[in-house]
Amino acid sequence: MPQTPSWVKQLKPSGPQGSDLLASERAASNVPVEQLSELLFTKETIQKKNKILATLKSEEMFDKSPNYYAGRYEYFEKSVARAKALRNLKLRENWTLEEYRIACDLISEPLPYSLHEGMFVVTLKDQGTPEQQERFTKPADDYKIIGCYAQTELGHGSNVRGLETTATWNPERKTFTMHSPYLTASKWWIGSLGKMANFACVMAQLIINGKSYGPHPFIVQIRDLKTHEPLENVHVGDIGPKVGYNTMDNGFLLFNNVEVPHISMLARFSEVDPNTSKYVRKADPKLIYGTMTWVRSTIVMQSGSALARGVTIATRYSAIRRQFTDRDEPKAKVETPVLNYSMVQIRLFPLLAATYALHFTGKAMMNLYTRAQETLSKGGASILADLHGSSCALKALSSTIAVEGLEVCRRACGGHGFSSFSGIGNWYGNYLPTVTFEGDNYMLTQQVANYVLKSARAALAGKAAKNETGHILAEYLKKKDIRPSFDITSSNADIVSAFAWRAASLIFDIQNKRDNLKTAWNDLLVDFYRMNKAYAQYMVVVNFYNTLQNTKAAPEIESVLSTLFRLYALHTLDQEASDFTATGACTERQVAVARSTVEQKLLKEIRPHALRLVDAWDFDDYVLDSSLGRHDGKVYEDMFYRASELNPLNRVTVDPYPESPVCFRKVEEAHPKSKL
Amino acid sequence: MPDFTDNLKPRYDGTATLQAERDASSINVDELAKHLLSRNGFLERQQRVLNVLSKEKLFNKDQLLNLSRPDRYYLGLARSKAIQRIGRKLGWDDEDYKMAEYLNDEMSPYHLHTTMFVTTVREQGSEEQKAYWLPKITNFDIIGCYAQTELGHGSNVRGLETVAKWDPERKEFEIHSPHLTASKWWNGAMGRTATHAIVVAQLLLPKQGKAHEYENHGPQPFIVQIRAEKTHQPMDGIVVGDIGPKYGYASMDNGYMLFDHYRVLKSALLSRYVDVSDDGKFTRHGHPAVLYGSLTFVRANIIMHARLILARAVTVAVRYLAIRRQFRDRDSTNEQEDEMKVLDYPTVQIRILPLLATTFALHYTGEYMYMLYQRSRETIEKGDFGPLAELHSASSGLKSLCTMLAADSIETCRRAMGGHGFGGGSGLVLINADYLSKPTVEGDNWMITQQVAAYLIKKMTQAVKNPNNKAKDPTDVLFQTYLQTRSSRTPKTIVSSSGIDDEAIVDAFQWRAADLSYRAYQARVVEKKPWTKLMVQLHNLSRAYSEQILVTNFYSSFETTSSPLSAPTPAVLRRCFRLYSLYTLDTFASSFTLTNAVTAESTYALLDAILELMTELRPHAVKLVDAWSIPDWLLDSALGRSDGKVYEDLYDRAHRRNPLNKITFNPDYRSEEIVLGSGDGGRDLLAKL
Repeated sequence: MPQTPSWVKQLKPSGPQGSDLLASERAASNVPVEQLSELLFTKETIQKKNKILATLKSEEMFDKSPNYYAGRYEYFEKSVARAKALRNLKLRENWTLEEYRIACDLISEPLPYSLHEGMFVVTLKDQGTPEQQERFTKPADDYKIIGCYAQTELGHGSNVRGLETTATWNPERKTFTMHSPYLTASKWWIGSLGKMANFACVMAQLIINGKSYGPHPFIVQIRDLKTHEPLENVHVGDIGPKVGYNTMDNGFLLFNNVEVPHISMLARFSEVDPNTSKYVRKADPKLIYGTMTWVRSTIVMQSGSALARGVTIATRYSAIRRQFTDRDEPKAKVETPVLNYSMVQIRLFPLLAATYALHFTGKAMMNLYTRAQETLSKGGASILADLHGSSCALKALSSTIAVEGLEVCRRACGGHGFSSFSGIGNWYGNYLPTVTFEGDNYMLTQQVANYVLKSARAALAGKAAKNETGHILAEYLKKKDIRPSFDITSSNADIVSAFAWRAASLIFDIQNKRDNLKTAWNDLLVDFYRMNKAYAQYMVVVNFYNTLQNTKAAPEIESVLSTLFRLYALHTLDQEASDFTATGACTERQVAVARSTVEQKLLKEIRPHALRLVDAWDFDDYVLDSSLGRHDGKVYEDMFYRASELNPLNRVTVDPYPESPVCFRKVEEAHPKSKL
Repeated sequence: MPDFTDNLKPRYDGTATLQAERDASSINVDELAKHLLSRNGFLERQQRVLNVLSKEKLFNKDQLLNLSRPDRYYLGLARSKAIQRIGRKLGWDDEDYKMAEYLNDEMSPYHLHTTMFVTTVREQGSEEQKAYWLPKITNFDIIGCYAQTELGHGSNVRGLETVAKWDPERKEFEIHSPHLTASKWWNGAMGRTATHAIVVAQLLLPKQGKAHEYENHGPQPFIVQIRAEKTHQPMDGIVVGDIGPKYGYASMDNGYMLFDHYRVLKSALLSRYVDVSDDGKFTRHGHPAVLYGSLTFVRANIIMHARLILARAVTVAVRYLAIRRQFRDRDSTNEQEDEMKVLDYPTVQIRILPLLATTFALHYTGEYMYMLYQRSRETIEKGDFGPLAELHSASSGLKSLCTMLAADSIETCRRAMGGHGFGGGSGLVLINADYLSKPTVEGDNWMITQQVAAYLIKKMTQAVKNPNNKAKDPTDVLFQTYLQTRSSRTPKTIVSSSGIDDEAIVDAFQWRAADLSYRAYQARVVEKKPWTKLMVQLHNLSRAYSEQILVTNFYSSFETTSSPLSAPTPAVLRRCFRLYSLYTLDTFASSFTLTNAVTAESTYALLDAILELMTELRPHAVKLVDAWSIPDWLLDSALGRSDGKVYEDLYDRAHRRNPLNKITFNPDYRSEEIVLGSGDGGRDLLAKL
């Protein structure tokens, strides 16, 4: 294809220019963006981020512009190179772990070392004895060995007890035999296993003398350290392409009676005595459940920013994209920006509100977690138990909101949302597994049910409430017969109470079904799911509310955050209307008022601040990698540039006629400029 | 290479599991399949074309997910060419070609040539134009595309920026792109394939008597050559190319195109309904609304397609979830008991079984649409445009609802399958990505619902003004009845101790649609509220109206005097009707109670009724999806295989058919080498960046 001719280069988008439109959007609001960003992330973190961003942008290896064109194979190859380069950058720049994580976040694609760092080393540190630390953790820390964490199997996901891989103790030789008795025993989905790792932490059923002691972790070498070929009787590889995460080598792994030494079983919590062949339990493995709570709280907080990417892109583009003149002003020459349509607002603004709600909720949980850990003796323990329950509930809710919200954002961009250059599709693909990993969102609701059933029974027995869940249950029991009314239209505190009331009512409802009516567990699963949603939504609303109460900021910020709070809460209330009315938390009339408050009032109040509210999320253009979401509004120029200059398909001339079997008649070399 | 894994078997036998599922239901699958899919000999055709394509190596689907974008297009083009050559050899008809494209399951670079391009010439060309162009099109001497949407403009055709200006001296048009946003954008087959395009441009003619002033006569279609016949290079004055990678549609070269004062002959304007005389005068013959005729046709097809897409997702989900096991029943005391089949979990059923019911709801409405389109088409050809409004309105509302249902359901099914749903072996990766464009192509779903609402407000206004006029269509009947009984309405009870009242269901859906129409009429016509403020309400109205159509048509299918189907199929289908209806009712409960369609008390009973219906449908689930007859070759899914060999196939794809496993990488960060032993030092890679 010839170089872009000059008459094309001179063309400008018609009508008001994107950059002017965004500038006037920003001028129309007085929300201090920088202060709001600092409230979200702290000044210190933002400075760190900017420094790392500058480093990454200066490295050719991390240029994102060719990402959208590659096949799985090249894309993975590049991601191996990037993982190596990032590790070298960390050493060169002397990054802390936190800074390294910020860098990964900015690159925004899963890299094939991440399970080595995130799971393998962490498990070794948490569960290894001092001897094992010396033997495995040291070389792992130094990347002399590269590991992964092999738990899920082809036939088994969430249910660890059902794993089929076995590790059988051989008393004479003091070794374990790792074995995969079925095809479905194959380890599957294991990140960094497919091509990268030479060690794996393998979860396998421990068998001593024919008796099974349940799943335990074993450190097993799987590839040769020199040739990187699989060891004998180990069968390992990549599981193939996926919806997203294609830069990661998720792998499979099978053992054909592979013998490993005694030291392979991680033995901080339990071990096999090499002399007596007895199983010895040394400490309570529940000690490490805290890590899971921490991981889930992180997911809650990240769900806010994950969604905020989509909302940023869709909001900026909708402020520029114009469609139809206003039906009530047929003479108007300029079409209306679609962000003025209530139809677009009702899709985007509740999600904008949700980004803040989820972020503050995640942050509040992590603070609570840190404080409770420090005061374990003084009631911290019961707060931690509560956090475990609520973090499960919130993980399920928040990642579902983010995943579904991202697709709503993509569709709100109309046709251009379908282009890779929207920047939403790829990100969505990579974020998707969040709803199934770290506990499948639907399965988690059973753990939550377990926890709240216990709390409900304690409340009924009149035990004093020691944590948030206990409080709302006790409050409900106290007022159940009076049936209080909540003034959701004018009091934020009453909105919170209405959410608490609905959650508590649904919790006692399942407690009644389970304990008094003896309903089968399986028949209650849908009720659990409903309860979980109510319970988690309460958590989000109360944490958002508490953040508002405890935040001192500029009056413009306080006021707009309060509007976001009401938008999130009342919109959710309208969506879940039948729950609220059925539990007596509010009346049908109140639902109708809530709906019209959202549609006729709150959307309008947010509208002028929409741009600045997404700006406060502080995504650099490098991170978004999106034509539609550019900070400077040069949407159409960038779409056109990427399509015509960067797109490799335009270097091809085809033979279009069916009679000829030739498809590509000519393929030009890349222009020297676009090669780099 | 043989290895120890060759002899491993899954712990549970998937084939036996599915067989047991099938044995447990007495539905006659062949009979139901014929009932659903015999229009135009669908089943027989599917088998015949499948036999041909599945034998050709070119159509092997193995590596699609591993290929880069340029490779996908290359393959897409190669396959499209092959389909034409095969079809000619075997004497295929139009329906056979469509079937081949359906089974090949990717957007063909010829797709627009055989649909929008040829349809537009046929419907909007003059007799002379048709005689000139149609033989070239049928013979593939030229390859066409349809260039309407622009970089800055989608749904709103009136806002297009490309102009076609009349030159009175040379009696030609000059097509021009005055801005960057005037660039044609998204147009399928235009990027690399097409030689010709239908270009929709604003027709500018000189004002009579004023030499330099022009008048805009709105967007009109021009047939334009865009690439040279021999070299296939763009014509001078045209810049055209592919717009780059997308969420899906990798095999299609969606394009962009700009014109620099590009001259075309007067005959380029398709002139069956509009024309320009030699002295630059505009004439119109016939009804301008007919320009939307082909758009309506495309929408009707999209709706017919939606049920099969939905059926495909549900087929994969039902089969895999009937095999996948997870956790023992918590209430069981037997330690040795097998883990439960995931499909027995109500939390899984509630995601999948209502979708299974929805496939049938879409089917009966698809049949209705087909009839409506054929009926209206005949009268339009006769010059009577009366039914076009009802057709356009019904098609756009249903298109919006059906595509949204289908697109969302693919994702719901994918997620219900847990981790493996994310893998390429689910078979839902490409279909999800490709189908996701449906809610936005041919009119953004959220935008076109406004047309439905505007239509309903107009109808309600007429019904209020002239309550005794003769009813012309079902909407008139509905609105007139509503207005007559409005003051005496008692909300219905759907579920009571005596069971589920089917007539009350239909009544409730119709009442809700009529009541929401009346409220919209009140707000807009009586209270004169601004349109923009009402949009959310209007969207909900469109959805309610379309749901009413789905429920009414599904119910009507039971009314034919004797069902052609043997027991227990009719009873099972009725449960599907109830499940779809009650599930929808439960989801939008407040909209039904606020409109007085049903009593608030009766919504509390819905969840229990839904759970019971699902328990009743559960044993028939596998056979119901079997009836949709989606071939394994089309499913291309390890999880959804009809023989249940889920794990064997997942492993085979990963281990034996995965190119990444043919390479050994160097994982040590100290070394710049990426492929072990290649000594590449990362240099090749940098060149690729």
